[in-house]
Amino acid sequence: MKKLKNTVNIVIPLAFVTLLLTGWEVMVRCKSVPEWILPGPVRIARTFADNAPVIAKHSQSTLLECLAGFGIAIVFSFVIAFLMDEIELIKRALYPLIVASQTVPIVSVAPLFIIWFGYGLMPKIIVVVLVCFFPIAISLMGGLAAVDREYLELFRSMKASRLDIFRMVKLPLAMPSFFSGLRISAAYSVMGAVIGEWLGAKQGLGLYMTLSQRSFQVDRVFAAILAVTALSAALFVLVVLAERLVIPWNRLKQDR
Amino acid sequence: MPEIVIQEISKTLGGLLTLGEINMKAADSAFVGILGPSGCGKSTLFNIISGLMRPDSGHVFIDKQDVTGRTGRVSYMRQKDLLLPSLNILENASIPLILKGHPKKKAHAEAEKHLSQFGLEGFQRYYPSQLSGGMRQRAAMLRTYLFSSDILLLDEPFASLDAITKRKMQTWLIGVFNQIRPTVMFITHDVDEALYLCDKVYVLSECPTVVKMEIKVPFSRPQHGRTITDPGYSKMRDTIMEALEL
Ligand SMILES: Nc1ncnc2c1ncn2[C@@H]1O[C@H](COP(=O)(O)OP(=O)(O)O)[C@@H](O)[C@H]1O
Ligand SMILES: [Mg+2]
Repeated sequence: MKKLKNTVNIVIPLAFVTLLLTGWEVMVRCKSVPEWILPGPVRIARTFADNAPVIAKHSQSTLLECLAGFGIAIVFSFVIAFLMDEIELIKRALYPLIVASQTVPIVSVAPLFIIWFGYGLMPKIIVVVLVCFFPIAISLMGGLAAVDREYLELFRSMKASRLDIFRMVKLPLAMPSFFSGLRISAAYSVMGAVIGEWLGAKQGLGLYMTLSQRSFQVDRVFAAILAVTALSAALFVLVVLAERLVIPWNRLKQDR
Repeated sequence: MPEIVIQEISKTLGGLLTLGEINMKAADSAFVGILGPSGCGKSTLFNIISGLMRPDSGHVFIDKQDVTGRTGRVSYMRQKDLLLPSLNILENASIPLILKGHPKKKAHAEAEKHLSQFGLEGFQRYYPSQLSGGMRQRAAMLRTYLFSSDILLLDEPFASLDAITKRKMQTWLIGVFNQIRPTVMFITHDVDEALYLCDKVYVLSECPTVVKMEIKVPFSRPQHGRTITDPGYSKMRDTIMEALEL
């Protein structure tokens, strides 16, 4: 019974997407829309297949930027969240700053990084770090702050040190919240990298996109969009898998 | 087994005199109940005994030693089980031993010895979310026990359980108590529970809280979950109810 329900849950959206794609293809063919305005899905798929090696090469550098930026953002988040949780003064000093920093659109400062660091990987990685840091750090700090006071009292009464309490109680209890932030920033990281590449790059899906756009090869732009989407999805899946690996106990609760 | 003496403890919380001059004594291997309206400062009293909070005045003695404001001698068990969802039952129960510096293996082996006594045999690898409320409370009690096996401070440990589970747990607790004979202080706001379990009951007043009544429970603790049928029972129950202004 449950299996049937699961199958239905997959079949319905799949059927809907197929319907949309078919509609798109039919519309493009009947109205004979010029290819440089809107190519049909079949054409896009063919372009994607034809350019697969090139797209793969560009995806590689984009992926590298994402992973590097993502990793650095995670490390930063842990350090900052730990310091802010342990030392009240640091929290008071940094928290408003971190929140306020979100009012600065990253895109607007990205050109600066190009000026300072050139057209290599570095400026893109910085953009990814900036984009990912906020959701990760905020969710981690939220998780740490939301730990029931009674847990802390219990462990204090058992003579646990502050470090013990952080390690044994706060960190594991904050993990579910941390991972929800991680899932959000997985998608952000690809966006950050692509934006960074738009502004100037030697390689990457963002560069491939701008080049295709300038020569009005809309089918290639769509192929790049496809690749970017796949990359986002892959990173998301990676995070979900990591979550299952790191906090397997959290899924028990949902099963009940 | 130790004796706990609470001497003229007073405490002001948020500008309000919560505890005013509390005196109590739990003799060696006694089962002492603390009954009082909610918000009167029962948990505050346990925070003071366990050293988490300093009283404004007064002292806590355990075996004649002044432990006022010092943690480490006793911990206490609360209404919430406060088990870590990330650890299995055995790991959760071993926490106090780990914190005392025992190596992990030794701590687990030590905790494992007590599993059957606490009705957790076969469940050591289960996570808290996979167990019933009663089981979780027993695991929490084992953890409390492994921190200080000679004194158990229990703060409404069964308040969130359904009536049937609660009765089972009470009967089980009597069994465990008879085996290990610790000194127990048991907070509850259930008069029947207090009379069922305790040798002596302190009835507390509303804020500012003082000991309104100290009652020795003359009936022997029931075996095998029987109801107390002593004719003096309902009279004593009424006296306590009156003191609580119910
Ligand atoms: N840390 C605290 N600061 C200020 N007020 C507190 C604090 N802890 C408890 N209180 C207040 O003291 C009173 C007694 O609390 P508590 O000891 O938890 O009562 P009980 O356990 O009897 O229900 C309550 O009114 C509560 O709001
Ligand atoms: Mg309480």
